[in-house]
Amino acid sequence: MTEERKSKKRLKTSKELNRLVTEYYLNCQTAKAEGRPVAWMPPMNGVIELCYAMDVQPVFPENWSPVCAAFGLTPQNFKVSEDMGYSRDICGYLRNIIGYVNGLMNEKDTPLGGLPEPDILFTPGGGCVPVMKIFHALERRFPKAAVFSADLPQVAIEDINDTHIDYAIAESERLINFVTETTGRRLDMDRLRETVVLSDQACALWDEIMSFRRYIPVPFSAAEMGIMFVMVTLQGTQKAVDYLTRVRDEVRQKAESGSGVIENEKLRLFWDNIPLWYNMGLFNYFEAAGGVVVAETYSAAWSIRMDPQNPIRSLALKSLKSYPLVSCVSINKRKEMVLNACREYAIDGVIFHRNKSCIPITLGQMEIKRALEEELNIPSVIIDADHMDERNFSMAQFQTRVDAFMEMLADRKGY
Amino acid sequence: MLENLIQPFEAAINQFKKRDQLEKVLPAIGYFCTYTPIEVIHAAGFTPIRITGDAGAVEKAYAHMPDFICPFMKRALEKALNGKYDFLSGVVQGYSCDAACGAVNIWRDAIGGGIYHTLPLPYNSNPEARAFYKSALNEVVEKLNALGGSFSESKLDSSLGLYTEIRNILLDFYERSFKGDLPLSTQQMLTLIEAGAVSSPEAYLDMLKALKTHLRNANAEKKQDIPVMISGSLVEDPTIIEMIESSGGRIVADDLCNGYRQLVPAAADGGSPVDRLINRYIQRMPCPARSRAEDRLAPLIELMQKSGAKAMILIIQKFCTPHLSDYPSLLKAFKEKGWPVLLLELDESWQPGGQIKTRLESFFEMVGA
Repeated sequence: MTEERKSKKRLKTSKELNRLVTEYYLNCQTAKAEGRPVAWMPPMNGVIELCYAMDVQPVFPENWSPVCAAFGLTPQNFKVSEDMGYSRDICGYLRNIIGYVNGLMNEKDTPLGGLPEPDILFTPGGGCVPVMKIFHALERRFPKAAVFSADLPQVAIEDINDTHIDYAIAESERLINFVTETTGRRLDMDRLRETVVLSDQACALWDEIMSFRRYIPVPFSAAEMGIMFVMVTLQGTQKAVDYLTRVRDEVRQKAESGSGVIENEKLRLFWDNIPLWYNMGLFNYFEAAGGVVVAETYSAAWSIRMDPQNPIRSLALKSLKSYPLVSCVSINKRKEMVLNACREYAIDGVIFHRNKSCIPITLGQMEIKRALEEELNIPSVIIDADHMDERNFSMAQFQTRVDAFMEMLADRKGY
Repeated sequence: MLENLIQPFEAAINQFKKRDQLEKVLPAIGYFCTYTPIEVIHAAGFTPIRITGDAGAVEKAYAHMPDFICPFMKRALEKALNGKYDFLSGVVQGYSCDAACGAVNIWRDAIGGGIYHTLPLPYNSNPEARAFYKSALNEVVEKLNALGGSFSESKLDSSLGLYTEIRNILLDFYERSFKGDLPLSTQQMLTLIEAGAVSSPEAYLDMLKALKTHLRNANAEKKQDIPVMISGSLVEDPTIIEMIESSGGRIVADDLCNGYRQLVPAAADGGSPVDRLINRYIQRMPCPARSRAEDRLAPLIELMQKSGAKAMILIIQKFCTPHLSDYPSLLKAFKEKGWPVLLLELDESWQPGGQIKTRLESFFEMVGA
């Protein structure tokens, strides 16, 4: 990623992130070298805590995609997968990771040491179709890996009942037995409780960090969204809690001292859908017009509070809720969440990223857009783009739409 | 003569398109995907009606969906926004793909009225998954009963019997067609199946029985064109079928969700009607939205072999992630078998255009060489 495409980071703790990312990927490689089992899994579920509690190293192929975008590897990965026959109309995460495992992964000297080969694949049933298909492709690429075919009911959050929870718990137990049978490692419930306590602490810290974004001026913007990395990859670890504590302290200090992202904050914005990983600098684009992206839908999905007294049930609930919270499984709940966030964060305007690489998040946006206008009189703009594939993004179109939108917002506020 | 035999089915479709004599199917529940357990809907006293897109333009639906959604879902919503599905008491949808999942919720918001329920079908078949399936079915039954339905296990038994008989007749037609012994074209088979998706199953079964009697001694005309199988989700317009058949191909089998795929198996064993229902849906000839490409290969290879097809044409609705994701694996496996594959993507107009005609002609030339 060229310099202007990287976001401008103002938090000191954001700058620490490079070290954490490097350490995480180094740990993944070390685990492999030391013979600790490496499990590839989709994010947004309660399996991560089970992995850390059982000394299994979790690896997230979806999270590797933003890394590839940051290092400019995506075009090469796309070329490999598209040459294999994968259509450009399929999600960019899918094309990137399939391209990577069938291309660059076989070469030496990939950034951050690359990904270690999996010993275990947690293939999801449920979640979005592209992620399920990613894991089917990984099964083909890594035929020696032990495969656990997971199942999870896809239910709107407001409709989740005991039947769904019981089944999700049964699936968690089946998964624990599978890991034990595959690796010989048994689950120590005290260790799991400790992991769940840490995960819950990370969520509490995350919520607290987000709450400081209610301050005017806002102490940090979506340009620092990279801090989410620890919520994706390190939930259930002391490292995540320590890092988030430092972020919280810095953000609190900035909020309380009135130190904002920009000198003269005029317009507070909300971003819906996944960022453009190859151009995080877009989040700084709004600043020229006095705008700051104060909140996002995507960052909310990583914080699901837990009850350490009922760790398995808590993890099952986390698995059930995380994906619906941001996807078309639960449009009503998402709408409620966005509207509440717009009230709480004093939002002036919303940016909907109509994301060609993500049908589940894009579906429902128009319903939310209408509700914003009708219930809160908050205007919004649609940006046509793609979270992975730069070929589906036009900077000129982005600028035209955003400039007009920012002018309109400024007019409304009397600037 | 044959046209006369198909006429009642065409009449049923046309009548439905005009929303004429709707009382024959009321009260009705709509569904998108053939994984929806229509037997339960029927046993509760509703006629299950398959929602379709059909060829046409998309205008109003773009106020609710982006353009990169499959034509089926965009057009279905367009029709609903134009009041074409106002007669439904709701939508029950067996969970399949992301677009269908979102569509149910968008319909609830944009169309309203009745029930909108996505059934979270399990992906596994272990005892816990089956127990969960039962609970998920109970939830549907409760909602249908609250809507005025009256479900019972004995009614489910009858509904299972009815749909099994329907599927058996259609599968019997397919078996004859694989042997080149059925005097019906692919388009006529798709017409038969489409009529079933919009009629009461009782009336539809009578129509099928009459047709079966008429076709008992009828012979098929032998054709020399290149035998091919077509595969995809729904083919919602005959133009592409006609184009394949006018370009040197003869369709001898299909793996379509508005064709053969939804019929297999016709029924399954089990202790209770609910068990039989669950077993059938678990054993379904797989759809790419719910399975690995590898799981689809065995039934596809079997279809190729028993129909004598020499190549496969994938007719994909534009932006259909499940089918597009399986394409590289199917292509590789078919190549290994020596069967050429052609991928065609079509938008909501369902008009293939000259370029596709040229591709088809070159494809058949290559296969026939």
